[in-house]
Amino acid sequence: MDPDAVAKAFVEHYYATFDSNRPGLANLYQDGSMLTFEGQKIQGAQSIVAKLTSLPFQQCQHNITTVDCQPSGAGGMLVFVSGTLQLSGEQHALKFSQMFHLMPTQQGSFYVLNDIFRLNYA
Amino acid sequence: MDPDAVAKAFVEHYYTTFDSNRAGLANLYQDGSMLTFEGQKIQGAQSIVAKLTSLPFQQCQHSITTVDCQPSGAGGMLVFVSGTLQLTGEQHALKFSQMFHLMPTQQGSFYVLNDIFRLNYA
Repeated sequence: MDPDAVAKAFVEHYYATFDSNRPGLANLYQDGSMLTFEGQKIQGAQSIVAKLTSLPFQQCQHNITTVDCQPSGAGGMLVFVSGTLQLSGEQHALKFSQMFHLMPTQQGSFYVLNDIFRLNYA
Repeated sequence: MDPDAVAKAFVEHYYTTFDSNRAGLANLYQDGSMLTFEGQKIQGAQSIVAKLTSLPFQQCQHSITTVDCQPSGAGGMLVFVSGTLQLTGEQHALKFSQMFHLMPTQQGSFYVLNDIFRLNYA
């Protein structure tokens, strides 16, 4: 399957889950997964999902502007995303960049091994 | 050695080389290296350096705002950078995000296996 199409499909699934069912993100991380969120380092699916579900907003919508991907070696895929994040009730959307390192699961899908998120301030 | 310190040192070396001796970047890539520059995919040190040395400006200065890093598995390191890029003669600096996947060399240093660069437009 075309790697670019795989990356795009994963990213759309990730943000759709984030925006509609944040606890559902637990399926996309494993024990060895790492998240750096605005400089804060978190490890393991449980802690990562605890962090993401405790962010100080109820509802949000991610809009993806760019998706770039490359094979990372060892069967993994690097995905680099930029976009905007609209929080309910806020007038202006935030800009963000995020990178994922996806690794294949035994079921033929992917999970997030590495995840780094940064807001892009004006 | 502290991974964060290693990442920070590599990034500073990379942008110093870029800003003062762009052709010298050839030492930081290998034949299997991949660059995606504003959506354009380039492979191999020679082609990558040809692209970077042909960018339409004589002089530039990168200023780094944030550096995040995580181990990528298989001995590699993922580095996620945001910053600004001032082109000589331009009034306003450009904002950019860039990710590197660094792999160790036999000499105890690192080279760039994966490189993805995106400008962050206002």
